[in-house]
Amino acid sequence: MPTLTDYLVLSALLFSIGATGVFVRRNLITILLSIEIMLNAVNLTFVAFGRALGEVDGQIIVFFVITVAAAEAAVGLAIVIALFRHRESLNPDSFTMLKW
Amino acid sequence: MACVAAAGVAAMVAEALRAPGERMPIGPLGAIGLAGAAAASLGLWNHNATSFSLVVADNFGLFITLVLVVVGILSLALSAPGIERLGLPRGEYYALMLFALAGMMLMATATDLLLIFLALEVLSLAVYVLTGIRRDSPAAVEGALKYFILGAFSSAFFLYGIAFTYGLTGTTRLDRIGTLMAGQAMSPAPLQLVAVGLLLVGFAFKVSAIPFHMWTPDAYEGAPTAVTAFMSTGVKAAAFAAFARVFLSTFEPLHPYWRPLVWTIALATMVGGAVVGIAQTNVKRMLAYSSIAHAGYLLVALVSANDLGKGAMLFYLLTYAVTNLGAFGVIALLETAERPFDQMSDYAGLWTARPALAALMTMFLLSLGGFPPFGGFVAKWYVFSAAVKAGETTLAIVGVLTSVVAVFFYLRVVVMMYMTPAGRSSDAPAVPAIAGAALVASALAVLYLGLLPARVLDWAAASISTIF
Repeated sequence: MPTLTDYLVLSALLFSIGATGVFVRRNLITILLSIEIMLNAVNLTFVAFGRALGEVDGQIIVFFVITVAAAEAAVGLAIVIALFRHRESLNPDSFTMLKW
Repeated sequence: MACVAAAGVAAMVAEALRAPGERMPIGPLGAIGLAGAAAASLGLWNHNATSFSLVVADNFGLFITLVLVVVGILSLALSAPGIERLGLPRGEYYALMLFALAGMMLMATATDLLLIFLALEVLSLAVYVLTGIRRDSPAAVEGALKYFILGAFSSAFFLYGIAFTYGLTGTTRLDRIGTLMAGQAMSPAPLQLVAVGLLLVGFAFKVSAIPFHMWTPDAYEGAPTAVTAFMSTGVKAAAFAAFARVFLSTFEPLHPYWRPLVWTIALATMVGGAVVGIAQTNVKRMLAYSSIAHAGYLLVALVSANDLGKGAMLFYLLTYAVTNLGAFGVIALLETAERPFDQMSDYAGLWTARPALAALMTMFLLSLGGFPPFGGFVAKWYVFSAAVKAGETTLAIVGVLTSVVAVFFYLRVVVMMYMTPAGRSSDAPAVPAIAGAALVASALAVLYLGLLPARVLDWAAASISTIF
């Protein structure tokens, strides 16, 4: 039976994987996915705490977060598509019009 | 009591939301909605009403709401020429701006961490889209992308901080968290300090404090100038409102723990904003770094955390809002689709071609630089004297020095306008009456806040006392 600490360690790991991915990966879609991983790591934290506290609040909060994440993904992908039309590239290193 | 508040707050938000359905006279409609919000806020003044224990219409929230109403009305007025010249979609533009305003007002009045997060997302998503609304411009979309990626990244941190706070306290309501914090102020749980740090990252990003500022110059340069004016003032006011509410009331007992962190960020932000600003040749980017530096001065008020500092922060937010809106507004009026009018050299000889605009721009820039008799001087004066009173002498000294450095780049534009022979600035487009009136109104506000600040200062001090 996994304990609260196990869940927290797992979600911290997932969060770090996502955060690293944002900086390391060189594809915009993968970067968006990494951000989703971070949000889902937070969801896991909420559910784990909610269970440990014996409340449903934690799980209800997760619904809000999922909704926000969906809206965020929609806006993010729209921006990526708009940019792809200009550049034909998904590599963030090629977007250097604005500097300093 | 709760009923009045629910109606008032609902009116405040709903009136701003009503616009999307209609398509034609959206600008004036938005202004009517904002006027309604202003009336509701004035009606609720001193009532200190709450609704669902999630939103509170205390004087602090209402003061910020009124600042946001001013920001909203001026931005709407300044947007019209840009929308026409750049060919932006009218309906979407106004609707997104009003949604963002509703999110900001909610953020300023929310008393639940989860609601603050939702409000933050409402305003951020709208502003991301507004930044990239010129889809035919690669720079605009690139700025929007950078803003979006870093924004989503930091809101994940913010949310993680909420998750830890929830786990440790079993609630997301600020008042209950505050009570628990006060109980264990002597020895807070290590995880709680981690949570405070994560929340700090989220806020620092939204107010564009160094080292979380990387998106600011790019987004400010890429966005249509009227949008830049809107987001550099509105987002900052809303984020600072929530920042102050969370850190100065709920996490007040932990002040000794978060003070060094915020202190360091404030120092880095003031120095970085002023020094990097000097190197800019693009006026919009220069003003972006100036807005970073101003975030630093606001953080100084936050670190001081005394009554003077809290009042000074509200006064500073109002002054900064009207001044910055004015400065970006002048650029917005000169901007055309072919020529963004954002290079330093574009301003050569503006005094001969456009004396009125040049004079207004000079006023706004001098106020940003903190020259008397403009509002910026009084605002800076109160922030720094609050810092000295709280014993933060280093911050006050660095603040004064960086203001002097910043004056250099503000004056460069002024010199350009008055003392350099005209380049191509004579082909600047005509100024619409409403936008011109908005600029004159903000100029008058800057002068008023500089010459007769006592009334507004009393008002700010009175409103801050309701929550702390």
